Amino acid sequence: MKIIDRSDFTALISELIAEDPREVVGVQADGDGYVFDSLESASDLAFEYDLTRLSPKKYVMPQRETLLTYRRDAGAADYEMRAEADPTGRIIVGVHPYDLAAIRQLDKIFIDTLHDEPYRRKRENSVLIGLTMQDVADTCFAASMDTASIESGYDLMVTELDDEFAVDIGTFEGDQLLESVPTRNATSEEIDRVETIETDLEAEFERGLDFPPAELPSLLEASYDDMDFWEAYAEQCLSCGTCNVVCPTCFCFSVDMVRELDGDSGRQERRWDGCLLEDFATVAQGENFREEVAQRHRHRFMRKGWYIYERYGDIACVGCGRCTAHCVAGVADPCEVYNELREAQHA
Amino acid sequence: MRSHADPQFARGEREYQPVEGQIVWVETYTDDDKLFVIDLPDGIDLDHEPGQFVQLFVPGVGEAPFSIASSPTKDGPFELCIRAVGNVTNAIHDLESGDTVGIRGPYGTGFDVDALAGEDLLFVAGGIGLAPLRSIINYALDRPGEFGELTTLYGCTEPAEQLFPDELAAWADSPIMDYHETVDGVPAGQEWDGNTGVITSLIPPLDFDPATTVALVCGPPVMYRFVIKSLRENGLPDERIYLSLERNMHCGRGLCGHCQLNELYVCLDGPVFNYTTVRDKEEAEV
Amino acid sequence: MSDGDSGNGRQPGDADERPRVAFFDFTGCEGDQLQVLNLEDRLLDLVEVVEIVSFREAMTEHSEDYEIAFIEGGVATAHDERRLTRIRTHADTVIALGSCASFAGINALRNDQDFERVKERVYGEDAHRISSYPVARPIDDVIDVDYEIPGCPIDREEFVQAVTALVNGAEPTIPNYPVCLQCKFEENLCAFERGETCLGPITRGGCGATCVSEGTHCWGCRGMVEDPNEDAYTAVLEAHGLTTEEILDEYQLYWGFEREQRAVADGGES
Repeated sequence: MKIIDRSDFTALISELIAEDPREVVGVQADGDGYVFDSLESASDLAFEYDLTRLSPKKYVMPQRETLLTYRRDAGAADYEMRAEADPTGRIIVGVHPYDLAAIRQLDKIFIDTLHDEPYRRKRENSVLIGLTMQDVADTCFAASMDTASIESGYDLMVTELDDEFAVDIGTFEGDQLLESVPTRNATSEEIDRVETIETDLEAEFERGLDFPPAELPSLLEASYDDMDFWEAYAEQCLSCGTCNVVCPTCFCFSVDMVRELDGDSGRQERRWDGCLLEDFATVAQGENFREEVAQRHRHRFMRKGWYIYERYGDIACVGCGRCTAHCVAGVADPCEVYNELREAQHA
Repeated sequence: MRSHADPQFARGEREYQPVEGQIVWVETYTDDDKLFVIDLPDGIDLDHEPGQFVQLFVPGVGEAPFSIASSPTKDGPFELCIRAVGNVTNAIHDLESGDTVGIRGPYGTGFDVDALAGEDLLFVAGGIGLAPLRSIINYALDRPGEFGELTTLYGCTEPAEQLFPDELAAWADSPIMDYHETVDGVPAGQEWDGNTGVITSLIPPLDFDPATTVALVCGPPVMYRFVIKSLRENGLPDERIYLSLERNMHCGRGLCGHCQLNELYVCLDGPVFNYTTVRDKEEAEV
Repeated sequence: MSDGDSGNGRQPGDADERPRVAFFDFTGCEGDQLQVLNLEDRLLDLVEVVEIVSFREAMTEHSEDYEIAFIEGGVATAHDERRLTRIRTHADTVIALGSCASFAGINALRNDQDFERVKERVYGEDAHRISSYPVARPIDDVIDVDYEIPGCPIDREEFVQAVTALVNGAEPTIPNYPVCLQCKFEENLCAFERGETCLGPITRGGCGATCVSEGTHCWGCRGMVEDPNEDAYTAVLEAHGLTTEEILDEYQLYWGFEREQRAVADGGES
């Protein structure tokens, strides 16, 4: 672990903004909340934020991106079709551990397992500078999901210590980034202090899963047929898909045709989609395999706590609390749902 | 279709890159169903297993998944039987011989022909469900001796819904396959002198041996639910039933989520499933 | 797509192959046609792929030889009905342009008010000259409509996609996800969090959540999603302190006709 002066850290970010060909993005205040956005100055960085509206997933898997372009010359017979993979990487500053955990899960799926080129190129060209949490959103329950701190998944991990920052180096690229600024090795006291900050943070969480997340898959499997439970929730659900698209681990998408007005060219675009939306599981002949809101509602919770685990070994809820914060109907909270299921099972 | 000599394919970097296919023949079966015969550029072989699917892209229209209707034992162009039921499929029906389309795939898990070797095969198809099964029916017919007895049951709502009429006639006369067909009803103006009744009415008279028979089923949920029930009532063990399921894949590669069936991805784990894999899955609608 | 006679292989450069398109206005503000004119530079591209034979806002010529009719505005008079029926006999494809044509839109505000008073309020002394039906209706109440492009006004890109779909032998489609979804894409601060109410959760998306992005809230101009959970949404509005009357006001601005139809379809519940 290294220690870097605040002024040197600021200088580093300023230098990256000025010199690095990549866009530098970071957490900034935006009205009543926080967002990841392009950094014009290191001084715009928010270190004491609680939660951003969207996670930095949007930089490696954007809301919309082109998968394929096609065109033909006017009057020509054949089309040229070309797969596209936007390789734009970014330097992403201020990522909380739960969002790093989410990107680590997506890496496993999109790079290691299913080789998605548009994701891989952006991800591998990006740098993740993590930030130890200093504030906890009311809806966040990351500590109970073991994602309030993290040991890997970042290039650099920064913890604010008064006028200095403790920096843990996660990758060679992270190490290279630090080369241009003076650093020194952290003392054992400083290392202890970072650990204490992480431990003390756990007490800041007002809510949490009442049981170890590892028990979620079996709990959910046992609760699958409890339709009374799912229907009670679904009655108030607007089926709007908000909980899906604000989730840092949700990765479902639709592929849309977007035509240019010349009639001879266009693109296939993937766009974030959500399993709560009415048409998500519909096939061409009209059959909808999750026709009821309750089925769709249940599917989301199953996916977060069980299905993804079955396939990839990860609990796909990192406890960030975004779905809870954004749901106007107040029915999206995994912490509440999972705790209620657990309570019912033990009643 | 992957040419492993191409390092970009080997690394999976071009998974969204379609290969340019040319439609070389279109056959009209019904008002809604057409067969498209598609040729790939020289040197590219689709190299599919029976039961797998491709993603077909039409510039300006969109992309959709289709089970491959032809057997890998057939050289040259491959075949897709497409029912016009939506935006993309309606537009595909306007395509003609000579038009180009994009082809991705083959994708998914098809029928495990090695595991089926030596078994008696009972194919049960409902309506357009014959298209995916045709790939393995013709595979079996093209490789006599590899499987045991072959039987095909084909049910349609009405005579005019039947696909592949020339092949059905050939199957009826085939010395190596037993073929039975039925229609639910015969509307005025259509001719039919065969069986009428739902497809399950063809199962009890078969008197198949449950110990040596494997059933391969494809059709709409309302059909396969009753077919499976009847097969089980006639003693066929669950693990001897396979079915091919239809879902709306957008990517074909296990990512987009549209084909998810409980924890399964139909595009990876299917579209062909052993019945024991899906029998307890509510979303399989079995 | 080698041959020009294939449905998909239309040669856009070939004047004979361009579909002939006509625009018509009925009872409405003509703002949707204005959106088409607002394509500006892209209008030149548009007339490369379609031949516009009638467009009162932009040209004086008129022809009754057209394949695609874009119809803006709702139905208010017997004359409207006759004119629509005539258009339907000429056109292969009829597309409702904008919310008034698609689901009566804001015109339907008057449907549950006293008609004579409405006339007086709008036309004053000339009220007696107005011969209109007391109820505003969308065009599919009179003729078959093939596709709808809702919005008040329409989204220009959605119009472009509809035209290019038809040129390519595909069908125009509109999203069935709500405005909320795109609003999240834009990372807007939720209108509810700003202390406002918003119809975004059950309004059909496709507009890019423009209104919320510009600092206001969703008024429901694109109509409701296909299967809105209206009861749940009413509960949300109540929880935010709205009275039943205020909630109805919110719903009636654009959805008056739609909700009435839905109530009839549901067996008279409202």
